[in-house]
Amino acid sequence: MARRILVSLGICLMFAFGVTSIAQETSAVESSMAASVASETEEAESRERFRSLDQDVQDLKKEVLDLNRDLFLLEEELLFPANSQVAFFISMDVGEYFELDSINLKIDGKEVANYLYTEREVGALLRGGVHRVHMANLKTGDHELIAVFTGKGPHTRDYRRGATMSFDKGIGAKYMELEITDRVKKQQPEFVIKEWE
Amino acid sequence: MKVKNCLLGIVFSTFAATSLAASGGLTGQSAPDFALKSSTGENLRLSEYRGDVVMINFWATWCGPCRQEMPLLDELYSRYQRVGFSLLGVNIDDDSRKAMNMVSELGVSFPVLFDNRKEVSKLYEVDAMPVTVILDREGTVRHVHHGYKPGYEEKYLDQIRSLLRE
Repeated sequence: MARRILVSLGICLMFAFGVTSIAQETSAVESSMAASVASETEEAESRERFRSLDQDVQDLKKEVLDLNRDLFLLEEELLFPANSQVAFFISMDVGEYFELDSINLKIDGKEVANYLYTEREVGALLRGGVHRVHMANLKTGDHELIAVFTGKGPHTRDYRRGATMSFDKGIGAKYMELEITDRVKKQQPEFVIKEWE
Repeated sequence: MKVKNCLLGIVFSTFAATSLAASGGLTGQSAPDFALKSSTGENLRLSEYRGDVVMINFWATWCGPCRQEMPLLDELYSRYQRVGFSLLGVNIDDDSRKAMNMVSELGVSFPVLFDNRKEVSKLYEVDAMPVTVILDREGTVRHVHHGYKPGYEEKYLDQIRSLLRE
C-alpha cells in the first residue's frame, strides 16, 4: 500500500514539475516576443527620427541655397548698380600709324586700369573688335578721364600720347569709347574719346 | 607614454597639413591671368597659352638656385615645346637690364617676362626664390614648387610628361 502511495506521490510531483517548466517556457517565450515587439517599435521610431532629421537637413540645405542666391543678387545690385556704371571701350580703325602696346586709364587722377595688349589682341582690334578695358561705378557729377596710349608710332618710333576728357555722369549707365584712328593728312595717329549715346 | 606619442603625432600631422595647405594655396585653382612685357619686346598673356601645359618659373638675378635651374628648364623647354609645352620665365628684378644680361649669358631660349611692378608675383604668392608653377592644358594650377634643389628637374619632368599625356 505504502509503495502505491509513494508511486502516486512521485507521479504527482513529476506532473507538478512538468507544469511548472511548461509555464516557465511559456513565460520566456512571451517575454522574448514582447522584447522583439519593443525592439521593432524602437527601430521604427529611430528610422522615423532619422527620416525627419534627413528631411530637416534637406530643408536647411535648400534654405542655405536660397539665401546664397539672394545674397549674390543683393551683392551684385549693391556693388554694380546699373545706374552708376561707367564702361570704357577701346577700338581701333586702320592702325597704320600706330601699333598699340598698352593703355593706362586714370579717372579723377586715380589709376584704374593698365592694360598690356598682345599681338593677338591688337589683331582682333584691327579686325573690328572692341575691348572693354574697364568698368567702374561712379557717382553722379563731373569726372575727368585721362587715357595714355603707348606703342609704336610712325616709322616704328616709340610713341606715347595722352587724351583727356571731362564728362558729366548723370543718372543711368554711361559708355565711353576710346578710339584710335589714323589721320592720313598728318600721317599721325589720332586718339578720340567719345560717349555712346 | 602611448597617449603622449599619439598626441605628438596628431600635432605634427596637423602642422604638416597646415604647412602643405599654405604652400600649395593655388593648387587646384584656375591660374590667375596676367600680361607682361617679354625680353623680345612683345607682350605675352598667359590665357593665350590655354591648351598647352605651361610652366611659370619666377626667378631673380640675385638668386643662385635660379641660375642653376634655368639651363635645366631650358632643356625641358627645347625637348617638349613641340608637343604642347610652354615655359614662361618671370623675372622679378627692379632693373630688367640685369635680367637681360643674365638671359644672354645663360643662353636660355624660353620667353622671359619682366614683372617689375611685382604684381604677378603677388598674384602667385611668390614667397621664395625660385618658384615654379605648373599648369595643365585647362589652365589649372597642378603643381607648385618652392625653391630649387638638384634633382627637382626629375620631378618637373615626371609632372610635365604626365600632364602632356592627359
